[in-house]
Amino acid sequence: METLKNHPKDELLAAYAAGSLPLSQALCISVHLEHCTECTQNLHQLHQLGSELMLSLQPAKPSPKLKDKLFDQIDQILINAATTEKVTLPTNEANHSLPRCLHQFIKTGYEDISWKRLSSDIYSYELCRDQNNAKVELLRIKPGGTSGTHTHMGDEYTVILEGSFSDESGFYQQGDFLVKNSLDKHTPVATIDKDCICLAVTEAPIQLTGFFGRMLNPLIRRSYA
Amino acid sequence: MTRIATHSDKAAFSTLFDHYAPLIRAYSLAREPGANLVADELAQEVLIRVWLKAGSYNAQLSNINTWIFTLARNCRIDYFRRNGRYISDIDPTEIFNNIEDDDPGPFQQVHQDRLAKNIKSGLSKLPREQAEILTKVYLEGKSHQQTSTELKLPLGTVKSRVRLALRKLQVLILR
Repeated sequence: METLKNHPKDELLAAYAAGSLPLSQALCISVHLEHCTECTQNLHQLHQLGSELMLSLQPAKPSPKLKDKLFDQIDQILINAATTEKVTLPTNEANHSLPRCLHQFIKTGYEDISWKRLSSDIYSYELCRDQNNAKVELLRIKPGGTSGTHTHMGDEYTVILEGSFSDESGFYQQGDFLVKNSLDKHTPVATIDKDCICLAVTEAPIQLTGFFGRMLNPLIRRSYA
Repeated sequence: MTRIATHSDKAAFSTLFDHYAPLIRAYSLAREPGANLVADELAQEVLIRVWLKAGSYNAQLSNINTWIFTLARNCRIDYFRRNGRYISDIDPTEIFNNIEDDDPGPFQQVHQDRLAKNIKSGLSKLPREQAEILTKVYLEGKSHQQTSTELKLPLGTVKSRVRLALRKLQVLILR
């Protein structure tokens, strides 16, 4: 595992640990964690903080019935375990190069996706929507391709699944996690050796800033709606 | 815990219930004050998972309080999604459940106990406004945005208070 340079900020990782982060953002962080031992360790410690906070609560005694109910359920589990043979579910041998949290959307691999062409350099594939209509999609930039200079109307969360790209502020590789907001104007360019595939969560459509880009904005907004 | 895992020991489980059920209910009530039925359901769900997963629990890797916290958190997310109070197309089990069985790395009991002790003493000394934010985020399950609206604070202030609290508690490895 290479050491990554671009991590989620502390408060974002804490919100993930607390379970209070929108799931779309949690998805991006989950991918990053598969590539980052440092954040995984921090996450574990943030869980410890969570448990200490839980222990600091004033305990709220349940009614005596709850325990009975629970033990009934356990008896049922024990009976079922004794009477039914263990069924081994066919393990979903999904493509192992895919992050686990994406298996719910992609069964085989990035090749088999019906990518939608956005420009000669970029393809996209929408995975789903999250609360507040945040769009969760895969973006694929051809080797050496660029998405054009753009800003964002809302925050954009990106994690790199494959390949690498660079922009004005740095170089990003597999597992790197970045957040761009409306003040960040950037021009991502994929490295020339291979396609760059990212998982991106956008809370509002991006705004292209170049002359031609601006003419495309209404089209992008339409695809977002 | 080992007794539950290897002998399906109900007496041991009963003791565990007495300790954790009230805490899990308190955790649920922190998010939804007054919702006692929801709290019961969450406690039941979490403890059933503890029973079922007792075999995969590894005390060397994760302390039991921490393990139960992550289970409670996951069950709470599931619960809210199932009940339509959290509209999303994303299945959270594949995001969080994998992690609860994961090997958290080269962790040792000693290190964990020390960290737990530091956190505990740190929490009692934390400035009130930082503790308040941690309560919102961790116990009430509020997003930064919701926290900012409820406390009438700028979003940036919410985030920086979380950061300050984490630094003061020395929870994170600095990089």
